[in-house]
Amino acid sequence: MSTVPVVSPTPIERYRAMVVMRRFEEACIRGMQQKEIHGELHTGIGQEGVAAGMLGSLLVGDALVSTHRNHLHAIAKGVSMQALMAEIFERETGLCRGRGGHMHPFDREKRFSATGIVGSSLPVALGYAYAFQLENVENVAVGVTGEGGSNAGAFHECMNIAATWKLPFVILVENNGWAISVPFNEVTATSTVSQRASGYDAWGQTVDGLDPDVVATAFAEAMLHARSRRGPAILEVTCARFRGHYEGDHDGYRPAETRKRMRESRDPLKYYREKLMVLGLATDSQLATAENSARDEIATIVAAVKAAPNPDPSEAMRYSFVGV
Amino acid sequence: MAADQTMTRVVDRAEITTSDAIGEAIAQAMEADPKILVMGEDVGTYGGVFGATDGLLQRFGPGRVRDMPISEMAFTGMGVGLCMAGYRPVVEVMFVDFIGVCLEQIMNAMSKIPYMSGGNVRMPMVVKTAAGSIGSAAQHSQCLWGTFAHLPGMRVVMPANPHDAKGMMAEALRQHDPVVFLEHKALMRRKLSAFRNGSPVPAEFYRVPFGKAAIVRPGSDVTIVTVSKGVEDSLSAAQEVASSDGIEAEVIDLRTIVPLDMETVCASLRKTRRLLVVDEDYLSFGLSGEVVARVVEMLGPSSFDKVVRHAMADIPLPAAKSLEDAVLPGSASIAAVLRRMG
Repeated sequence: MSTVPVVSPTPIERYRAMVVMRRFEEACIRGMQQKEIHGELHTGIGQEGVAAGMLGSLLVGDALVSTHRNHLHAIAKGVSMQALMAEIFERETGLCRGRGGHMHPFDREKRFSATGIVGSSLPVALGYAYAFQLENVENVAVGVTGEGGSNAGAFHECMNIAATWKLPFVILVENNGWAISVPFNEVTATSTVSQRASGYDAWGQTVDGLDPDVVATAFAEAMLHARSRRGPAILEVTCARFRGHYEGDHDGYRPAETRKRMRESRDPLKYYREKLMVLGLATDSQLATAENSARDEIATIVAAVKAAPNPDPSEAMRYSFVGV
Repeated sequence: MAADQTMTRVVDRAEITTSDAIGEAIAQAMEADPKILVMGEDVGTYGGVFGATDGLLQRFGPGRVRDMPISEMAFTGMGVGLCMAGYRPVVEVMFVDFIGVCLEQIMNAMSKIPYMSGGNVRMPMVVKTAAGSIGSAAQHSQCLWGTFAHLPGMRVVMPANPHDAKGMMAEALRQHDPVVFLEHKALMRRKLSAFRNGSPVPAEFYRVPFGKAAIVRPGSDVTIVTVSKGVEDSLSAAQEVASSDGIEAEVIDLRTIVPLDMETVCASLRKTRRLLVVDEDYLSFGLSGEVVARVVEMLGPSSFDKVVRHAMADIPLPAAKSLEDAVLPGSASIAAVLRRMG
């Protein structure tokens, strides 16, 4: 059972959520090193401020469609962390019985899914948005993409459709500045993605994902805009990808010194801890308690996941066609 | 479901076209299942470029029958999202040739999510698309069913006459699996009375199950295995060689290639020992090779006297009629192949 709050988190809870996310990703990296995971792994370490900023504005009935770097979004949407990690660790007890793997988690109940194909999350989210309008319910569909995926044609197609029919659709652009090795400004015509919003007569804003409170305020506004049927929104959140594109990426296209500076100055956990202390919103001991409980929670999950069985090879053909 | 006269646009049932039959199936299914939506280019006001969705917009409204912008990547992906949200979308990709701009959502999402989700998420989506040649050259004449069949996770079906078109669309609309429903352009506006293989089309709701081939002409000398418009062409050729050369060809309409009914094919081959696969799709790495490979595996290499593949040449379809006739299987070329097979 996830203990990450999704409704009205306090600052300490928001901080704890980020710590949970960091520990979760670190556990995945260890799982990779220990050969529990034999494929690719993309972690969101350094980008926790984005997912933590989503807490509080996502309703259970809202849909969230994420990317290859999806773990933190899944946690923010309330997906069971144990089922998610078991899926990442390719176990039968995983969210998708080990058939999907870390890039393809699907939780129908929580209305969470992801795709490993960059830019392809948006049309799927748009389908949910169409359903919500058809049903005249207050839910919103959020499609997450990186800034790299925002240059895929689907971005335009989806914004045009959503804006034309005023669908409850939010594109959350997680702008970590790098499409693997290609810097954003070398391949993108404008300095922000969100300024494209005016081309669709839509809501658009760019904020700094270092501070989850800033993200939370902007995300709440974007969601309210879409929820009140004023059309789609583009929320761009800048953030830092601490590690290579995937575990094992040499990351040599970014100078070591730059990466070191980034980890020092762009760490949302470090930033937010200091902010809460300076503002007197939390004491050191409260934060330490949160850190310890986050660490323990993840440790418990890792132990359960490692003890879980791998899928039975005799069942490799299951779950394809079901007929009528 | 009882027959509803408001659903049957065609008064003279002998004049029903393939498009009419498909439209009837969709309308009857939409009546029964409010979760069925139709979306695509020109499916609403225009009624579909071949008329198959004519009247659906007026009857079910723009929420359920939606004209889309030319944004196939977006609206095929919307179909995926709508399935997740509990709907059963019929996504029309006008011509199958256009699949290139949205195959991503078909091959990586629609067809894989049921498996990738460990059975947690079903994709009851129908991709309705027109295939086959009507003289429109390389970018508007392809079949591509072999392409879909090669990729795992999709039912791939192609009715060859109005009766099957209605029944197979009805079947598609109750599947929990994604279905690629390929309509042959040359058959869409053709009236039932003009079909060689023209079973009556009941006005009431019925289904034609997937994975059951039809022997549309019995014969003892050679087995023709084909699909879609190839069925009409093969029947015409079979008739011709029967009268001129006394060759009795058995013609099998596979109707669906995923699933593929090899039992019917093998039963026929045990009798004829001669196999001709007629396929309007490209020759190489496709349906014709698959059928041959499977019969060899199932019956053994010594079970045949002759095996021939007659399929679209491995080139982009040329525009000139003289060139098209030279590379595209048709009744005359099928008859010629049958004569050569002896």
